[in-house]
Amino acid sequence: MSVKVKFYSLFKLNLKSSGIEYEINSPITASDLIKKLDEDFNGYFSEKLLEAGTITPGSIILINGQNIFHIDRLNSKINDGDTVTLFPPSAGG
Amino acid sequence: MKNYLVRQKDILSEAEEKSLENLNIMIAGAGGLGTNQAVQFQRLGVNKIYLYDYDKVELSNLNRQICYGRNDVGRYKVDAAADFLNYFGLDTKIIPCRKKIKKNLDLPQDIDIIMDAFDNFPSRFILEELAVENNIPMVHGGIEGWFGQVMNIIPGRTVLLKDVFAGSENDKKPAVISPAVSIIANYQVVEAVKIVLEKSDILIDKLMLINVLTGEIEKIDIKR
Repeated sequence: MSVKVKFYSLFKLNLKSSGIEYEINSPITASDLIKKLDEDFNGYFSEKLLEAGTITPGSIILINGQNIFHIDRLNSKINDGDTVTLFPPSAGG
Repeated sequence: MKNYLVRQKDILSEAEEKSLENLNIMIAGAGGLGTNQAVQFQRLGVNKIYLYDYDKVELSNLNRQICYGRNDVGRYKVDAAADFLNYFGLDTKIIPCRKKIKKNLDLPQDIDIIMDAFDNFPSRFILEELAVENNIPMVHGGIEGWFGQVMNIIPGRTVLLKDVFAGSENDKKPAVISPAVSIIANYQVVEAVKIVLEKSDILIDKLMLINVLTGEIEKIDIKR
């Protein structure tokens, strides 16, 4: 088992990657995941997803389809087998 | 059947055709998404389109808002859009509503489906509250650059926009380009038609993410 992280939209385009998988031995937080991603993607995700230690307005982080705003924000727990989805929502019209 | 709809006869059953001809749509926002949706619903032969917007046409709208030209700059969008659509002499009734969408707004009682054609999430969340209060399905669409998303909100049945897009509010004015706007608007119209016709493959608790440049369409599971 592992944690699947999927990138969509601009994240996928910029990184030329549709995602990454991590083996974890115990639950991690969304913050921990962003640190892991930063190591593999040269700091890209903390730049895109974080602002002054909180989630940047206009960034979506879903754990198994649920927005972490409705769980415990950056302290939301990610368990073995979970899927994390990251994308910048399209706001215009 | 209206005589100008003869070419869609083989695509829809008689009952489906009737459903569309009786359909009353609310389009919230007469911008890029809304003008494209209005054109499509009119060509589908729906009964009525309530078009909501309180803004006037600006020059910067003309790259994607297909009901307006240079001569419309300064006019109320809903009036200019109604003139544009009525020019075609088709049977769909276009009802311009020069109103801001706000909480507790009284909606016409005969609306069957609400189309999100806004350009920001705070307004969309208010629209969603109205949809839920009035128990009317709503089809969300958003566009930024070459990327867009579509999602259905069916009160009591699906995840809500505020569940998935909490934290999406920001002050940026997204870059928008006409073909991508049209594609997202058209997918929204297709979803609306599918909801009305009770097709089996409606987006339920799924978010459709569209990359217009690569042609990739991905559906991701979403939950409350």
